[in-house]
Amino acid sequence: MKTNFWKKLITVVLALVLSVGSVLSTSSIPTQAAHKKTTIVFWHGLNGPYRKSLDTVVADFNKSQSQYKVVAKAQGNYSALQQKIMAAAKSQTLPVISQATYTAVPDYAKDKLIAPLDSYLGSAKLKGIYPAFAQSSKYQGKYYSVPFSKSTRIMYYNQDLMDKYNIKKPASWEEIQKDGQKLKSKNIAALTFDKSFDQEWEGLAKSAGSTFVDSKLKPQLTSKPVKNSAKFIMNMVNKKEALTAGEDLYGDKNFTSGKSIFYVGSSAGIATMKQHAPKSLKWGTMPLPSYKGKKATQFAGNDLVMYKSASKKEKQGAAAFMKYLISKKTTIKWAKMTGYVPVRKSAVESSEYQNFLKKDPTAKAAVDSLPFGFQSTAFVGFSEFRNDLVSTVDNMLTQHKPVNQALKDLQSKTKTIINQK
Amino acid sequence: MINQKKNWKTTLQAYLYLLPMLLVLLVFCIYPIVQSFLMSIYTKYDFFTNKVGAIGWDNFRYLFADPDFYIALKNTLIFVFGVVPLTIVLSLIIALMLNKLRWFSSLFRTIYFLPFVTSTVAIAMVWNWIYHSNYGFLNYLLGLVGIQPINWLNDPHYAMWALIIMSVWKGLGFNIILFLVGLNNIDNRYYQAAAIDGANSWQQFLHITVPLLSPTTFLVTVNEIIVSFKVFDQVFALFQNSPGPSKACLTLVYYLYQKFYIENKYTIAAASGVILFLLILVVTLIQLSYSRRHVHY
Repeated sequence: MKTNFWKKLITVVLALVLSVGSVLSTSSIPTQAAHKKTTIVFWHGLNGPYRKSLDTVVADFNKSQSQYKVVAKAQGNYSALQQKIMAAAKSQTLPVISQATYTAVPDYAKDKLIAPLDSYLGSAKLKGIYPAFAQSSKYQGKYYSVPFSKSTRIMYYNQDLMDKYNIKKPASWEEIQKDGQKLKSKNIAALTFDKSFDQEWEGLAKSAGSTFVDSKLKPQLTSKPVKNSAKFIMNMVNKKEALTAGEDLYGDKNFTSGKSIFYVGSSAGIATMKQHAPKSLKWGTMPLPSYKGKKATQFAGNDLVMYKSASKKEKQGAAAFMKYLISKKTTIKWAKMTGYVPVRKSAVESSEYQNFLKKDPTAKAAVDSLPFGFQSTAFVGFSEFRNDLVSTVDNMLTQHKPVNQALKDLQSKTKTIINQK
Repeated sequence: MINQKKNWKTTLQAYLYLLPMLLVLLVFCIYPIVQSFLMSIYTKYDFFTNKVGAIGWDNFRYLFADPDFYIALKNTLIFVFGVVPLTIVLSLIIALMLNKLRWFSSLFRTIYFLPFVTSTVAIAMVWNWIYHSNYGFLNYLLGLVGIQPINWLNDPHYAMWALIIMSVWKGLGFNIILFLVGLNNIDNRYYQAAAIDGANSWQQFLHITVPLLSPTTFLVTVNEIIVSFKVFDQVFALFQNSPGPSKACLTLVYYLYQKFYIENKYTIAAASGVILFLLILVVTLIQLSYSRRHVHY
C-alpha cells in the first residue's frame, strides 16, 4: 500500500517535470528564431502615467527597428533604481542603459561602471541640444549621458488669491518678499517651498554670482552670494512670509489649500497639480522671477547612461535608442505626453509643440525657463554632499541653526568630501 | 529516532536532516556576517571588483570621530529605553485584561494583533496623517483639551516621541500574544491555593504571576531589545526617507543605510554594523546572566 503510494507520487512528479520541460523547450524555439534582434535592457524609475508614456516611446522605437529591441524595466522610484544599480554592479548583472542624474555620473565613472558615449553618438554628438543640457552630459571632457526626462524649477500662482489681495505676478524675488510683508496681516504666506529649498537657494546664489561648488571644484558655501541668498530665504521663512512643506514633502498641498499665493516647485509636478488642485481654483505657472536683477533656475530630472559591461552590439543598439530619444520628433512627442521639457531648441520652436503650448499654457513656464537654466557642479561624492546640503537646510529650518554657522560647517564638510575622493 | 543510540551513523543521519536549514543559514546569515566583519577592516577597497588594497582600523576611527555616529548611538539608546519598558508594561497590562475577559477576547486579540501584521509603510502613512501639524488627528484631540498643536514630525524635540509612540503601538500585539501564552501556562491551582490563604489579587499577581511569567517576560524583553536596536523601517517610512528633523531620529541602522546607499561608504557602513552587533551582543549577554538568577522556569 505504502510503496504503491510512493510509486504513484514519483510517476506524477516525473510526468509533471517532463511536461513542463517539453513546454519550455517548444517555447524556446520561436525565441531562438527571433534572436537575431539584440535586446537592450533599460532600467528606469518612472511610474504611473510616465511609465506608460515611456512604454509607448519604446514600442515606437522597436517598431522602427530590425536589429535592436529595447526592453524597459521599471525599478520602482528613483532611489530604488539607484540602489538596484549598485547591487547589480556588484553582482555584474547591470542593464545596458538606465536613467541616472548627471550628478551621479562622476561616481559611476570613477567606479568604472559607465562608458563614454563619444564614439557611439557619431560626429553630430549632442548638436542642437540645449547648451545647458549638453554641458551637464559632459564629465571630464567626455559625454557620459544624454538628457532624457528633464524638468526645471518653476513658480505656480493662485490667480484667485492674487485678484483678492491685489497682487501682481512678481518680476523679482524682492517683490515676493514685499508681497509677503503685505500679506502678513491677512495670515497668508506669499510663497511655499518644498520641504527643502536647496534648489531655489542655489538659483538665487547663482543669480547673485556663485553656485555652491564652482567649476574648479572649490566649495563656495561661505561666499557672499551663497550666504546672502540663504539669509534672504530664511528671513522670509522666519517671518512666516514663506512656508516650507515639512511632512508634506511637496508644497502643492499648502498651495492648493490657499495657505500661500505662490509655490516654487518642479515643472514635473504640473501633472500632479492638475490632479489635486480643486477644479474651481484658477492657477497658472510662470518662470522663476529674477534676484538681484538676474534669473536662474536649476535643471532637474534624469539623463540616460550606458554601462561598460554591455557588449559592443548592445552598446550600438543603446546609442541608436538614445539618438532616437533625443531626435526632434521623439523629444516633442515625449514632452507632450509627460510634461518634461523638449531637449532641443528646434523641437521647442516647432509648430507642433507651439500648438501644444497654446492648448496647455501651464507647460510654457518650463520651456521659457530653458534659456536661463543652470546645473549644479557635479563631482565624485555628490550624493554625500547633497545629503549634507539637505540636512543643512533642515538644521536651519527645524533647529534654527544660525545661517553663518550652518554654512561654515557645510563648507568644511564639502571640502572634506571633495578632497577625500 | 531520539531513543536511538548515538553512533557515527545516527549522528550523520541527524546532520543530514539538519543540512537544508544549515545551508540556508550559512548562505544567508553566516556568510554575510563574516563578509561584513571582513569588510569593516578593509580600508582600501573596491566594492565592485572586490579588490582589497589595505586593511586596518581606519573605519572604526572614522566612526568614533563622526558626530553623526554619536547622534545615531544616542538616539538608538533613547529609542530602546523608551520603547522596551513601555511595550512590556503595556502589553502585560493588556494581556492580563484579555486573560480575564470571558467574551470577545479573541476579537480583541485580533484587533491588537492587526498592527503587527500590517506593513510598516502602511502604518507609517496613517501615523504620518495622525501626527500632521496642520490636519493631524492627534493635534485635533489635543486641541479638545486645550493643548496647543504640536509639530510632531518637524520639531526635533517631539520627533523621537512620535517615533516611540508609533513603535510601541505597532509592537504591542505580538508581545500580548506571548504574554497570553505565558499566562495560560500558569497552573490555576496556585491561585486557588493563594486565595485560600487569603492573598488578595495584587499579592497573587506579585507572588504568583510575576515570578511564573518571568520566562515569558525574559523572552519578550530580549526580543524587544534586539528588535529596537535594529529600528530602521519605522524611521524611514514615518519621516519619508529622512532621519527626522535635524537627525532627531537618526538611528544606528539608519546611519548604516545612509553610509551604504547614499554616501557609498561601504566599509564604514560595515564597521557601524559591527559596532551595532557588539552592542546587541553585550546587552544580550548581560540579560542572560541576569536571567540565570531571576528567571524561574
